[in-house]
Amino acid sequence: MIVVDSVTKTFSVSRQQRREMGPEFRGARIDAVREISFTCRPGRIFTLLGPNGAGKTTMLRMIATMLKPTGGSITVAGFDVVKQPVEVRKRIGFLTGSTGLYDRLTPDEMIKYYADLYGMDAQTYGRRREEIFGLLGIQEFAGRRIGKLSSGMKQKVSLARTIIHNPDVVVFDEATAALDVVTSRAIIQLIKRCREENKTVIFSTHRMGEVSLLSDDLAIIHRGTLIFNGTYKEFETQMQTRSVEDEFVRLVEAA
Amino acid sequence: MSTFLTIFRKEFTDTIRDRRTLFMMIVFPLLLVPALMIVVTNIQMSSMKKAEEKVLRVALVARANAPGLVAALTGRPDLRIIEGIPADSMEAMIARDSIDAAVLIAPDFDAAVAHMTRGTIRLFYKSSDDFDMVKRRLSGVIGTYEKQLVAERFAVLKMDPAIINPVMIEEHDVASMKERIGKSVGGMVPYLFVIFCFMGAMYPAIDLAAGEKERGTMETLLTAPVSRFQILLGKFAVVVLTGLLSAVVSILGILFAVRRLTKIPPEIVNAVMAILDVQTVLLVLSLLLPLTVFFAAFLLSVSVFAKSYKEAQSMISPLMIVVILPVMIGLFPGIELDPVTALIPVLNVSLATKEIIAGTIKTGLLLEVYASLFVLAGLSLFGCARWFEREETIFRGV
Repeated sequence: MIVVDSVTKTFSVSRQQRREMGPEFRGARIDAVREISFTCRPGRIFTLLGPNGAGKTTMLRMIATMLKPTGGSITVAGFDVVKQPVEVRKRIGFLTGSTGLYDRLTPDEMIKYYADLYGMDAQTYGRRREEIFGLLGIQEFAGRRIGKLSSGMKQKVSLARTIIHNPDVVVFDEATAALDVVTSRAIIQLIKRCREENKTVIFSTHRMGEVSLLSDDLAIIHRGTLIFNGTYKEFETQMQTRSVEDEFVRLVEAA
Repeated sequence: MSTFLTIFRKEFTDTIRDRRTLFMMIVFPLLLVPALMIVVTNIQMSSMKKAEEKVLRVALVARANAPGLVAALTGRPDLRIIEGIPADSMEAMIARDSIDAAVLIAPDFDAAVAHMTRGTIRLFYKSSDDFDMVKRRLSGVIGTYEKQLVAERFAVLKMDPAIINPVMIEEHDVASMKERIGKSVGGMVPYLFVIFCFMGAMYPAIDLAAGEKERGTMETLLTAPVSRFQILLGKFAVVVLTGLLSAVVSILGILFAVRRLTKIPPEIVNAVMAILDVQTVLLVLSLLLPLTVFFAAFLLSVSVFAKSYKEAQSMISPLMIVVILPVMIGLFPGIELDPVTALIPVLNVSLATKEIIAGTIKTGLLLEVYASLFVLAGLSLFGCARWFEREETIFRGV
């Protein structure tokens, strides 16, 4: 379970960043996320939707303990992200659009490295490795250097890295953004599998097809504030336009 | 500890598989530097030999003066005397390399010598050519002729030549060969190993921080259940190790080059090998360790701040000059290790290494150098750790 309660994240803005942002921006600080609250439950898929720069990645980075909230609180699997970050990290799997792999290692070395960081014992690791490598079809290229693999293969390794320690909570930050249909489908299958295994899943995406295909719960975020938070069914019920995409655009423009 | 070892092992494997790092760390100092030293020395030696064996074309205007000197000049096989060239065109001919030198004996030379006064000989040459060989060779011939004239004068005056040398200096140099070589060549050793230490640490530092940020691996690593300090420590240890390895390999490269350079006199080669005994090498390495810690912490701090590999590279490369400068100052004569210079980073290592090699290091000053380096290393590591914890730094440009 993830509980986000009135979370705000403020970044200080350097002089150079102010210049890059243009004359309309004058402040020394900027709120990337403002007073956001939502809850992600186990066995359900929570979708975070929003245009570029809305604050989705900042939100997910706070959940994953990479960034500290300026205000409010976040608990993941019952642990506070600021006070107990290591406990949170033990229970979380994080996947981004960029594969985040070491090109000079092999998939085997890469996954073992993370298993060691998660403190897995040899027996558990061996069993989990067999299971995941079989599920994702990694075995055939497990000994090749990652730099020599195709982007689809890399994403599979990245997926294996995300779930090797069998986390309770899985965070997907635009994980399918730059992928072909086949690899995207593998990730979608994995997200569904995580739901079946009663994990808490939160994912951010731009693809409206994925929203309707996967979402149990949905939050729409725009310029750092929440403009919708509810179940996907509620979203569909109150839609004033024909498609999910049109409704998303309508809500963003109205905000 | 096991987390640190896990990170260290992975970072080290990743680093040694990077060809660029491997080249800068092993290949460049071990093979290329000795190869360059051997090639440059051999070229220099053979050019010098060629210059020594060269038959010089010398224009002579004697007008029947100084027959003894003319005979000495014309009698030498390494000089080809050319007569009949007008005096006013000699300078131009030397400038365009038609001749190598010109000797003009003044018309009143014989008369001046006969009256026991000074006769004038004008020597034209180009000092920029062939290791100043022309001047040295002709001065030698003229010098011998002068000695002959002086001896003749003493004979005429019935005087003992010792009369013009009332003081005889008996030199007793108490400096050992180790000390002499240590003070003269010893400065070159830190010049090379400090640079290689910096260069060896540079690429892994860039790759393990800015490179990780650029590739997106830093983001996923930060979600692993380890503290940022443990991550930093693992990376830091690899950067220190590569810097040290690079410095040690550069010393091995120099030793290899000295052994291979057959044209260096064997007594010097033997002396160089003798001064690099176990104690000296260990002392020098003990200086290198805190220096490398400082370099590693400093380089990692810059690299963590940079948005990309390229930005880190462009920020770090100019810093090489900042490192080289104090080492170069350490080579200047008159700059010695004292209570003040012992506190200046890099310069203190350079000067202390020179003293260690010469065997003249004072314990108090050596301890001051250690204290200065360890304080600096500790502060830089502390600063780097604080820097690594900052969100603004680690997510800059990500």
